[in-house]
Amino acid sequence: MTSESSRPAQPAQQALWFELMQFYIREAWLLDERRLREWLDLFTDDVLYFMPRRKNVLRRELHRELSELGDLAILEEDKRYLEMRVARLETGMAWAEDPPSRTRHLIGNLEATPQANGEVTARTAFLVYRSHLETDHQLLSGCRDDVLRKVNGAWKVARRTIVLDANVLLDKNLSVFL
Amino acid sequence: MAAARKYAVIDPATGKLDRRIFSDQAVYDDEMEKIFGRAWLMIGHESLVPAPDDFFHTYMGEDPVILTRDGEGRLHALLNMCRHRGNRVVRCDDGNAKRFMCSYHGWTYRNDGALEHVPGESEAYYGALDKAALGLVEARVETYAGIVFATWDKSAPSLEAYLGDARWYLDTVFNRRDGGTEALGPMKWLEPVNWKTLVDNCSDNYHVPTSHLSSARVQTRAIGRPPLSHQDQFASPSKHAFVNGHSITFRDADDNRPRYVHGMTAENLSLFQQHHEATMPEVERRLGALRAHRVQLGNHSIFPNGILGLRLALPRGPLKTEFWHFVLLERDAPEEIKRALRIGSQANNGAAGMFEQDDVDNWRQVTEASTRHFGRRHKQDLSMGLGHAGAHPDYPGLVSERYISENNQRLFYRRWEEFMNAESWADIPLDPIKACFAGAATMRG
Repeated sequence: MTSESSRPAQPAQQALWFELMQFYIREAWLLDERRLREWLDLFTDDVLYFMPRRKNVLRRELHRELSELGDLAILEEDKRYLEMRVARLETGMAWAEDPPSRTRHLIGNLEATPQANGEVTARTAFLVYRSHLETDHQLLSGCRDDVLRKVNGAWKVARRTIVLDANVLLDKNLSVFL
Repeated sequence: MAAARKYAVIDPATGKLDRRIFSDQAVYDDEMEKIFGRAWLMIGHESLVPAPDDFFHTYMGEDPVILTRDGEGRLHALLNMCRHRGNRVVRCDDGNAKRFMCSYHGWTYRNDGALEHVPGESEAYYGALDKAALGLVEARVETYAGIVFATWDKSAPSLEAYLGDARWYLDTVFNRRDGGTEALGPMKWLEPVNWKTLVDNCSDNYHVPTSHLSSARVQTRAIGRPPLSHQDQFASPSKHAFVNGHSITFRDADDNRPRYVHGMTAENLSLFQQHHEATMPEVERRLGALRAHRVQLGNHSIFPNGILGLRLALPRGPLKTEFWHFVLLERDAPEEIKRALRIGSQANNGAAGMFEQDDVDNWRQVTEASTRHFGRRHKQDLSMGLGHAGAHPDYPGLVSERYISENNQRLFYRRWEEFMNAESWADIPLDPIKACFAGAATMRG
């Protein structure tokens, strides 16, 4: 039992993994408890919050599966647009979310890779359950590819790419945050 | 054969609409035959299949269709159904292929639809298979300014006659520039809504200040969007026009300003203004002075299911619609303008759009109301603006006096009746083309 793979991870890597897992768990609670102003604070001012479309392509053409930045996306938001999305919920007239959805964000499968510039790329998988009005419900499955940056000692998301496990979205709308 | 059902669902004198047309399976089945089996249906855009052998998977109503560009550059709309058993021969959203092979038994078709190869043709079929008669079923295809339409009905009029004078308005967006348009998308999602409500809503400017007030208000504050109250809407210089089955709303103002669209902000307004002015000589040459200066297409629908440009309401049963959202951009517009329009389109429309997400529960409950045994006895009230529309000296179609009106909706359901009560295209009235199409723009772009 001396192979490379069975050796315990470096303490620094363990610490980073633990720190980021706490970050994502906290983010999930903020979303599920509808504390969206605090959630917005988890993003840098120059954030790109991006959700490409996902196409059916042949296995040999999988490089074309996701729409590229610059093509029509499901979401391609900067901080100002994210703030508008939160602000509109506060008007009391954002009918897709008033009454609001009940959500549960489950985040896992974290892989974190430190970069030379001090940023960290962090990949997670999610299952998000949404219950709305009387009997509407949806299950959103996918992954997030994040770039995290330390700002004033706190981790913030500088770039988030959300890839849903779906081609035609089965749900009436996409009004919850992922 | 039972006698053809006679539909009288909208009372033109009162605007009362029988809401059972939104939920009844038999009505829906009739629509698939008499509307989606006959009408010119928007299915895509030439820019989705730019090169020889490109294909794009789309739908005509519920039927899966492959839009192809063959090796000679000709467009085809082919039913995605192997003529043997009916398996789909394409399962990808798009790509490039000279041939499509059915994954069930290997029948192989060229991208112009011809059946080229059948395994065991001489052994299993003893050379008796009539391959020439077993090509993929092909629809008629025509284009308007790069937008591809198709129909199953061999007796349908030309696309030009079908669009009629609606094109006089449509040209002001789709046929504006020499370089034409390009389509990005689609984003696809399922809405628990009858398809007609999505189409009807295109002329419903009345809902905007209520349904979309939250998004409009925060966007006015954050990015300088023009205010959007009922008073602003009532004072709007825009109008409705109903032309040959198609619902048009348009801005009617000779103030040398671009029409406000999603993506314009206080910051980039001057860029849009510069673009408007820089392209005006070209637009005037293409469309003539009246249309170039005064008329700008707004929300609209192309009968039966084309919505706000190249967006499709694809029926999936009476209570469900698959919505496809594309954004159409002027191919020669500056990159910064294209980027603003792309981001504005996606931020406001589409499944996650700030505007569109607030529509769905409203529309859905309209559809649901039509399924309830007591509620559906009570008709929809589409009486707004009754008696306040007519011919206009300058503009084609039946033009409303105000921007806020249900004239287009009443006429949409009348058009629906005309299709549903017709035995064939010979029974479907078509308004003659009367408008003056000044300028160089044509059906071909």
